[in-house]
Amino acid sequence: MLLEFVKKHFEPPHFAALREISLFAELSTGELRTVDNLLHQRTYIQDEIVFDEGEQGQAVYFILQGKVLVCRQGRPVDGVIAEISAGECFGELALLDDVPRMAQVRAAENCTLAVLFRNDFLNLLQTHSVVSSKLSLQLARLIGSRLRGAVYRCVV
Amino acid sequence: MASNNESAGPITWCAIIGITCMLLLLFKQILWLVLPILLGFVLYYLLSPMAKRLVLAGASVETAAMALSGTFLLVLGGWLLVMYPWVMANAEEWQSTSLRYLVRGSSALENILTGLQRKFSFLQNADLEESLRQSLHAIVSQFSGKHFSTAILALAGWLPSLLLTPLITYFLLRDVSQLRKFVASAVPNAYFEKTLYLIHALDRTARLFFIGLLKLAALDALFLSGGLWILGVPSALLLGIIAAVLGLIPYLGPLLGCALAVMVTSTDFPSATSLVYWVIGLFGLVRVVDDFLLMPYIIGKSMRIHPLLTLLMFVVGEAIAGVVGLMLVIPILGIVMVTGETAEVIFRDTRLRARHVFARRLRQRLDEQDLSN
Repeated sequence: MLLEFVKKHFEPPHFAALREISLFAELSTGELRTVDNLLHQRTYIQDEIVFDEGEQGQAVYFILQGKVLVCRQGRPVDGVIAEISAGECFGELALLDDVPRMAQVRAAENCTLAVLFRNDFLNLLQTHSVVSSKLSLQLARLIGSRLRGAVYRCVV
Repeated sequence: MASNNESAGPITWCAIIGITCMLLLLFKQILWLVLPILLGFVLYYLLSPMAKRLVLAGASVETAAMALSGTFLLVLGGWLLVMYPWVMANAEEWQSTSLRYLVRGSSALENILTGLQRKFSFLQNADLEESLRQSLHAIVSQFSGKHFSTAILALAGWLPSLLLTPLITYFLLRDVSQLRKFVASAVPNAYFEKTLYLIHALDRTARLFFIGLLKLAALDALFLSGGLWILGVPSALLLGIIAAVLGLIPYLGPLLGCALAVMVTSTDFPSATSLVYWVIGLFGLVRVVDDFLLMPYIIGKSMRIHPLLTLLMFVVGEAIAGVVGLMLVIPILGIVMVTGETAEVIFRDTRLRARHVFARRLRQRLDEQDLSN
């Protein structure tokens, strides 16, 4: 009982970085632990390619530390679409569909990423309804805000 | 990904078959460990939907794993405790009944052969009846003293090893995501996403195979029990279930199941020779439906293995590791096949290789940076 209490209420150090990610903002410590069990942590070096444009997307990436560059394939200087920093995520459409990546992503500086595989997310939908509904709501908000941004850029 | 339009080439297929044969040789040596692990995986695939439901209902993964594997262990232990005195009380009677069925069954087989020899002259010259009679008499005379006790001792010898099964299932149910993370952590960044896909594909293939095999056994039990009941054979349900379980051993299993049913029929109905033919016909029909319809559809489809290759691999598996080889060859081939196909896709992907080499160069440059300063 005491062990369960301690496990639920005391967070490991890397949870602070996970808490900065908007998708996990509304998760409790226990729920974050459930998601953390599914996350793969990877380190990328500056200029290393995370994924290519047209590659089959299988996972969403969360930036725990550092920055990445979203650009047209092979054009990191003149084809920059966006720069994404710690606390944000990219490749989130891969969670919803088996579609090719829309752009290339490179590490703009040395960075640490957490990766959630689509099948793990789909399993989460079947086993942890509260966690997955919170994630899905945050994901919908994120996609909505990106859509609004795109529409705004088109209009302006 | 290893999809249908990216099937493996001939060199990869040779490697897949070669590795399957080598693994069979290895597994034959450590069968005491392979069998509980294999049964642990089967149980894991059976219990994982229930574990998901428990977790959805609010239980933690640990609790669900503990509850399910613990329940299985308790049921198994309880069943053994209940069965033990019953087995001990009836063992002597079963031995004499088995011997009676064996004697009657062998005499029925001799009668069939005698009938065939009368009809076909070329069989009279082959001296088949005499050699078969001698073999059967040797088996019958040694049955009580040697074969029966050997079978019981072998079963008792496997028990401690089989008790590992619920423990393996518990750890699989609890830690399967950690296991995936551990395997993926060893893979370079460039191949990471494809490796995750490979692990998922392996999991899916194994799940479909094991569940498919159990579905096949259930269908066999249903058809055989129903058929035997219609024919009026006693203990049709028990015989059908035993034959279906034996049928999980390719080739040899169905023959053993059929022999068992024939022995029971010829003992209980000594004058009804035509009933024996009907029973053999029923087993033949179920076998044909299994091999040409259900097995390629349920199991072959789950692994995308050509039925001819499945058949050839059964022969190869039997030649390498006997009955064990027959049982293990298709699951091993399926796992090696998915691994091989995806490895080929990754190896052929020049872009992924280039990215990996580029990342290595970047890391090396970073490591050497302070050395040149």
